[in-house]
Amino acid sequence: MGKQITEMLKGTLEGIVLAILATAPAYGYEITARLRDQGFTDIAEGTVYALLVRIEKRGLVDVTKVPSEQGPPRKVYSLNAEGHVQLDEFWETWGFLATRIAQLQHTAAPRQEGH
Amino acid sequence: MRFTDLAEKIIGDKRRWRAYKARAKALPEPYRTAVAAIEKYMMNAAIVSNDADVLSQMFEDLADLFEQAAADKTPVHDIVGDDPVEFVETFSANYADGNWKAKAESRLRDTFTYLHSPDAADGDPS
Repeated sequence: MGKQITEMLKGTLEGIVLAILATAPAYGYEITARLRDQGFTDIAEGTVYALLVRIEKRGLVDVTKVPSEQGPPRKVYSLNAEGHVQLDEFWETWGFLATRIAQLQHTAAPRQEGH
Repeated sequence: MRFTDLAEKIIGDKRRWRAYKARAKALPEPYRTAVAAIEKYMMNAAIVSNDADVLSQMFEDLADLFEQAAADKTPVHDIVGDDPVEFVETFSANYADGNWKAKAESRLRDTFTYLHSPDAADGDPS
């Protein structure tokens, strides 16, 4: 994995973050923590933050500032109607991509079964 | 733009810039050094916007991120990841409006939009 998963994640991270936000509103660190729990251990918090800034600019999330016990207030992101539309599109695209890649995997002669 | 509007805009932006600098300076180590290094790289690599508002917003967001990280005691590596250059690219892509690279990209796109259009056969792009 390593480098390759980082490259592959680049295109899908937005959809993954939208999917996480669809289950419950969250602030930056919570999202990173959930990604790490799910095995994306190399994910940088700053990358997730930059992505949240982008989806906020594109109007896919609503943002509220919640005071925190330590440090500055936290920005809590929740998916809005636009975001849900974007997420539906992501799943559709993902389904297409996953099906095509699986087809390629099965039609390509598996090396380990060679003679 | 009237002179007073212009003056207000510049002074306003200077205030925002000074406020960011004060926040960056107030960060504990190693966050202060990290932010200073990122700021320097952004300036040197010309990936900062010419638009003062966009530029101020970028650095304010950067300060937000590192202030939060300092409060949570998140290690710098966990914020930036294995490659700080890649982090800066991802981060600054959100504030590309008006920066040198974005302008070059849009010129290239405009030229090819022209080349793909039916007008292209008639003459030079201008």
